[in-house]
Amino acid sequence: MIHTAKHDSDITVIRPGVDRLTAVNAKAFKDEVTALINDGASQLIVDFQDVTFLDSSGLGALVGVLKKIGHRGDLAVAGLTTDVAQMFKICRMDRVFTTYANVDAALQKMAENQ
Amino acid sequence: MTSKSFHMQNDLGDVDRMVVSLKTAVEGVLDDATMFKFEICASEALSNIVKHAASADKSDPILVQLSETKSSLNIAIFDPAGATPFDLRDHARDLDTVDPLAESGRGMGLIMQCADAVTYGSQDGRIGLILTFTKSGDF
Repeated sequence: MIHTAKHDSDITVIRPGVDRLTAVNAKAFKDEVTALINDGASQLIVDFQDVTFLDSSGLGALVGVLKKIGHRGDLAVAGLTTDVAQMFKICRMDRVFTTYANVDAALQKMAENQ
Repeated sequence: MTSKSFHMQNDLGDVDRMVVSLKTAVEGVLDDATMFKFEICASEALSNIVKHAASADKSDPILVQLSETKSSLNIAIFDPAGATPFDLRDHARDLDTVDPLAESGRGMGLIMQCADAVTYGSQDGRIGLILTFTKSGDF
């Protein structure tokens, strides 16, 4: 389901690989990202540029990933489409996640912070 | 009044197909902002009914109806036969009160926040959730 690319500074970019991250596939998304974390990935960017819709289950899965990383690393989200950004805002998740306009901006900032 | 009926399998795997079909059916009726809220509500309500409404026969499809008045679009999602009545208005949590790190518990609050009106009761002899959205055009 997910597609990953490892960049310099051990930052992993994750694309969910679906255009709708919902109750149908949220658990699979969380399980696959959790497996990456268990394998040592700790600097993660989730790229939402191809995701057109996100429901509360998708958001919940993302929160689960954030909790899994905890203080061991960092999780940012990038490329939020208009509707997905609105969903973050309605659910007050814009206060929880660090968001960037695109992956390049997220990569630059996370690399600077290391 | 124009009315359209849809049937969804009582399976999470059929929710996205149903939501996309519903969106297509109301294209041009709702403005972009309201369409977004409609999509959220439809997705959350349909997922909720599949996950939580016990039914006598899981092979029975879930009936969804769209209808319009001059000023509003209504979506009715009927409980499957044998399901225990569940009025989400009694259980929805204000999104401001949900723990930011909770992994669940936002769906019903989203419906309450995004729909212009939420009712639960009998229509055409069946029990269901009826969500109303102010419309901006015609079918």
